[in-house]
Formats: sequence, structure tokens, C-alpha cells
Amino acid sequence: MLSSFFVLAETTGDVADAGKAIALALGIGLGSLGAGIGIGTIFGSMIQAVARQPELRSELQGIQWLGFALTEAVVFYGLIGGLLAFVLI
Amino acid sequence: MRRLLALALTLFLTLPAVALASESAEEESSFDPAHEWDLKTWGPELKIGPLDMSINKAVAYLLLGMVVTCLIGIVFMRVKIGRGPNRRQALGEQIYEIAQVQVAEQGLPTKAIGRWFPYVATLMLFIWVVNMLGFIPLPLSDERYEIAGVEIPTLAIFAATSTLSVTLALALMTFVFTHVEGIRANGAIKYFRSWIPDVPKAMLPLIIPLEILGQLMRLISLSVRLYANMLAGHMLILTFIGLIFVLENVFLAVVAIPAATAFYLFEVVIVVSIQAYIFAALSAIYIGSAIEPEH
Repeated sequence: MLSSFFVLAETTGDVADAGKAIALALGIGLGSLGAGIGIGTIFGSMIQAVARQPELRSELQGIQWLGFALTEAVVFYGLIGGLLAFVLI
Repeated sequence: MRRLLALALTLFLTLPAVALASESAEEESSFDPAHEWDLKTWGPELKIGPLDMSINKAVAYLLLGMVVTCLIGIVFMRVKIGRGPNRRQALGEQIYEIAQVQVAEQGLPTKAIGRWFPYVATLMLFIWVVNMLGFIPLPLSDERYEIAGVEIPTLAIFAATSTLSVTLALALMTFVFTHVEGIRANGAIKYFRSWIPDVPKAMLPLIIPLEILGQLMRLISLSVRLYANMLAGHMLILTFIGLIFVLENVFLAVVAIPAATAFYLFEVVIVVSIQAYIFAALSAIYIGSAIEPEH
């Protein structure tokens, strides 16, 4: 009974590839966690600012998108680093 | 009439899918989304010393982007000004206003706008066009299929900005212009001194390498931001569609195609314009901060 479960855990294929895949996924996942928090903060602050002073909306919008893109890019640095490591090592 | 056109377009778009399906049944090749970035040379190889000038898919997209950018400039900006603004003039003015108010005036000091506005506006328009062309299915791909004995390239989505060489070249231009303009406006000694913040003398050996590294990191972040955004967008769409072929299950299309469409819309509506805007705005900010250092 139990042994039939353990058969599933038997490794087939390259273990190093599996490890690299897990590392890549973990790296991108943790990277997007940070960027998610950052983007949430930016849009949250934007909502607060516009709620307080609606007349500043158009001026704030440029800064908001700048901050959004700068924060969002962090995920992609992680992605590129991960892909480089995945391909090269 | 409009319905007939839509029907014809839909039929045209399904043709490559049918052709690909019949082809993939013949040869058992595994699907890999990264193959989209294997750039094969088209036509003769044009090598000048170490420079490889031969045409490939990315170059073709860049040339097309250049033509479209020029056309946008000619069509929207060279309008005969009549009594009331027509739609063409209104759109042209809107593009101009975004380039001026949102991009140039954000970063450039007033005295430098006349000189550098053309550069940042061109950057914005060109990157937007090249990004946008990357999401329109065009018959510019390396794969071919046959219709009635004529070989036609398959329709594919590929953005020239999703290759690092293109974005690095654009970022290098901004990098060079920043320092040339900084030296021209302030003089070499004053400009390089403005890099170093006011810190105690003992800290200087630590600060100076960091500041020089920071200037080089701008180059990397500017190019990798655009490159990785476009690469990840195309990779996501291709992977979702490719799941159907990798797992060989037609019913996955129920999940995969809506997901791919959602990512496609997100990329087209938000990412394409934001990245073009960011690249131009950051170029303006870098050049502006070189002309007028903070201290």
C-alpha cells in the first residue's frame, strides 16, 4: 500500500534540471512578491493623494507611472538573472 | 461591408493555424517558445570586418518601425491648419502635447528643451511604434508555409525591442548624449565633480567607485527594463498558446486562449505605452540632470 505511494517519488530524468527549474520559479516568485508590494504602495499613495487634493491628479499621474515602471522592472531583473543562470549554468 | 471585411480577416488569420497543424503532424518537433528569438539571416550575409550587417527578423521589424514612425510624423504633424482643427490635427497635437508636457518638461531644464525635445520625442514615438508592431501579427517570420504552391512566411508576433541589442543601442545613445551634453554645458572638470556628493574626505575612496558604477548601472537598467518587459510579454503569450501543443490537449485551449488574450490586452493597452513613455522620460531626466547638476 505505502510502497505504491513511494513509487511516485522515484526520480526520473535529470535531477539538476529539476533543481534549476525550482530555483528559477522560486526566484521569479519572490521577485514578484517585492514588486507587488511596491506597486501596491505606489497606487495606494496615489489614491490617497488624489482623495486629498483632486486638482493635483494630472501632475501626479506622470510620477505615478514613472514609479510604477521603475518598480515593475525589478521583477524582470530577477527574471533575466534567473534565465541567464538557467541557461548558462 | 464591414462585416464582410471582418470575416475575411478572421479567415486570413486562421490560415496559418491550419497550415501549422498539418505541418506539425508530419514532423515531430517539440515546441519551445524561445525559438522565436533565434534570429536567422535573411538573404546574403553582409559582414564588414567584425560588424554583422546582415538582415534578420529584428532588423526587418526595426526598418518597418522606422518607416511607420516617419509616416506618423508626416501624416499627423504636417497638417494644413484650417479654420477648425480636424481629427488628424487634434491627434497630432495630442501626441505632441504628451511628448512636451509629460516627457520633455518633466526632466529637461527650460533652456535645453529646444535642443533635446526632438530626441526624446523621437525616442518615445519610435519605441512606441516598434513595441506596437510587436503585437500585430505580421508575415515577417522565419517559418514558412505553402498556399497553392507559394511559400509565405507565417504570421507571428515579434518585437524588435525584445532583443537586447536593440534596447542596448538605444540606451547607449542616451548614455553618450548625457555625458557629452553634461561636459558641453558645465565643462569637463565641473561636470565630473558634480557626480561626487558632499561627504567627508575619508569616505571618498568608497563613494567614487560607487558613483561611477551607478552611472553604468543606468545604462543596464534602461536597456534591460524595456528588453525584459517586451520579452516577458511575448514569452507569456507564446507559452500559454504553446501549452496546447506541449501537452497535446485541445481542451486546454479553453483556459489557455482567454489567459493569452488577457495578457495580450494588458501588454497592448498598458505596457507598450508605459515602456515607451518611461524610456523617453528617463532619457530626458538623465540628460536634464547632466545639464543642471544639483550642486
